[in-house]
Amino acid sequence: MGMPDNDAVLDRIIEPALRSAEERGTRRLIVSGDWTLAALGDAQAAVDDFEASHGPAHEIDIGDMRRLDTAGALTLIGLRDGKAAAKTADFSRARPEHRILLDEIARAAPAAYEPPPPRAGAAVEILRRFLSAATSIGRDAIRLTMFLGETTAALARVVVHPGRFRIKAFTHQLQQTGLSAVPIIALVSFLIGGVVMQQSAFQLQKFGAETMSIDMLGILALRELGVILAAVMVAGRSASAFTAQIGTMKMREEIDAMRTLGIDPIETLVLPRVLALIIALPLLVFLADMMALAGGAVMAKLYLSLDTDMYLQRLNSSVQAKHLYVGLIKAPFAALVIGLVGCLEGLSVQGSAESVGTQVTTAVVKAIFLVLVLDAVFAIFLSAAGF
Amino acid sequence: MTAPQLNGAPLEYAIRIRGLTKHFGTQLIFENLSLDVHAGEILAIAGGSGTGKSVLLRTILGLLPFEAGSVEILGSDFASLSKTERVKIERQVGVLFQDGALFSSLTVLQNVQVPMREHLNLPQKTMDALALLKIAMVGLPPNAAYKYPSELSGGMRKRAGLARALALDPRIVFLDEPTSGLDPIGAAAFDRLIQSLQRTLGLTVYMITHDLDSIFAVCDRVAVLADKHVVREGAPMDLVRDPGHPWVREYFCGERGRQIAKAS
Repeated sequence: MGMPDNDAVLDRIIEPALRSAEERGTRRLIVSGDWTLAALGDAQAAVDDFEASHGPAHEIDIGDMRRLDTAGALTLIGLRDGKAAAKTADFSRARPEHRILLDEIARAAPAAYEPPPPRAGAAVEILRRFLSAATSIGRDAIRLTMFLGETTAALARVVVHPGRFRIKAFTHQLQQTGLSAVPIIALVSFLIGGVVMQQSAFQLQKFGAETMSIDMLGILALRELGVILAAVMVAGRSASAFTAQIGTMKMREEIDAMRTLGIDPIETLVLPRVLALIIALPLLVFLADMMALAGGAVMAKLYLSLDTDMYLQRLNSSVQAKHLYVGLIKAPFAALVIGLVGCLEGLSVQGSAESVGTQVTTAVVKAIFLVLVLDAVFAIFLSAAGF
Repeated sequence: MTAPQLNGAPLEYAIRIRGLTKHFGTQLIFENLSLDVHAGEILAIAGGSGTGKSVLLRTILGLLPFEAGSVEILGSDFASLSKTERVKIERQVGVLFQDGALFSSLTVLQNVQVPMREHLNLPQKTMDALALLKIAMVGLPPNAAYKYPSELSGGMRKRAGLARALALDPRIVFLDEPTSGLDPIGAAAFDRLIQSLQRTLGLTVYMITHDLDSIFAVCDRVAVLADKHVVREGAPMDLVRDPGHPWVREYFCGERGRQIAKAS
């Protein structure tokens, strides 16, 4: 049946062509060449040309056509049903395999021209997104509160049955979220402490009050800077990690498998992570505090030519211990928020890999936002309470 | 069934493997494995778990390296080809991975258009028409075209994966367990679909399967992997009559095998 074709794969394409022949009053359309995907542009051009220049044909002769694939068949069916052919026109002299293919495509083709689903107008779409974003804040608050409740209940169960506590997961998370974060948090706090010291000394010099910059850095670092720096870094590192870990498990139905095996995912996955973070973050905040003060000491030496002894003495006399406690008391609450948000977003992952990415982004953004809000609430509350 | 031929071009073998040897670390996977896939046939690859059916598929596709032997696809040795020649061969090959391997950030329609975008320069309208045609051909409802893979059932994902594999009208289609995870009715429908596509498009189908029903229903030949090479190949009924290997005997001449063989 086939023509000789030795180099079957890398061979040349014979250009698809159409010509018209008139015999005893009936017009025949003669199809030749390759009607395949590789030559589809030429095939469509030939069809368009023909439709523009010739009257309707009564018969489409495809006996001399060489190759045909689904793309070519679709074009030929378009030709048959288009202007260039009469209503009753059909294919003639078709080889059996071409005939089967044409029939198959003709059967599938009508369904192929379904229009895409209608889209709402741009203005409506923007409004809809705005509204859904606005209402999602409320929904998120409710979800997070419910999740806090579930986690607390799991904690209560573990307190009653301490044997159920996943000590191995807990220590692993403690290492991941705590110990591994030490270098970056130490470095960043040291640098920021130095920058604050340098800037405030520079400004206060104008009033001859440059030693006041030590008081300022001491209070600022202990009350706010240390906790915010550590919490934001941890939110970036650990909230994202929690979401990605739990999200991937959710995607691969591991969470469902745990539930069916009678294992509570909150108890096994969420609780060790949240508790590890609650232990780790205060320690990291303390580290950040100390490193910020150390950065300040270096800058005091460089800019104010102040010995470290003098610097420490000044700190000791002007900064009370309560500032340290005010900073540290915020840490476990920030840790709770970061851990809960990270785990909750992980559990909200739906089927796809893209969803994991979206949830990780959401988790980090929400965790940082909530940490800052929490810090503001604490600042107002604690000042009002006289600390 | 028509004689082995590819779209008018006679070509005896679609795939020819000779003396293939492959290790994973120190573990020997294939030793001196040889296999011919005739042009235009539906070949089933059967074998127990861990005999390397999927590894062989990946090796043929050039996704895994091998130490010795040769793999020819459509008459060209993959390993010796330049990058551009390889792409020409790759365009002739479609693969359906086990769970469809659809890109999760794209709709089904966009998934089917990925190979077209990559290899062809077609207007969007033509690509839409072609992709929708492929989606209709594999038996998906038209509204599935605008859905994301995560919104589809397992069987629909397989069909969508097949539509993507067929996007460029390949000559060879590789199917990795196409009917696993489908209900018997869905599996039988998928078998019929593959057979009708093979008949209309003159495809060569290389199909990894455990499914005795599909082997007897649609496959021209079966090759059985065991003991690090192809232990038996031939028409399903021939293997039932003369198993010649303990695993083949157990597989084809067990209670289930006998019943299905009798029924067909």
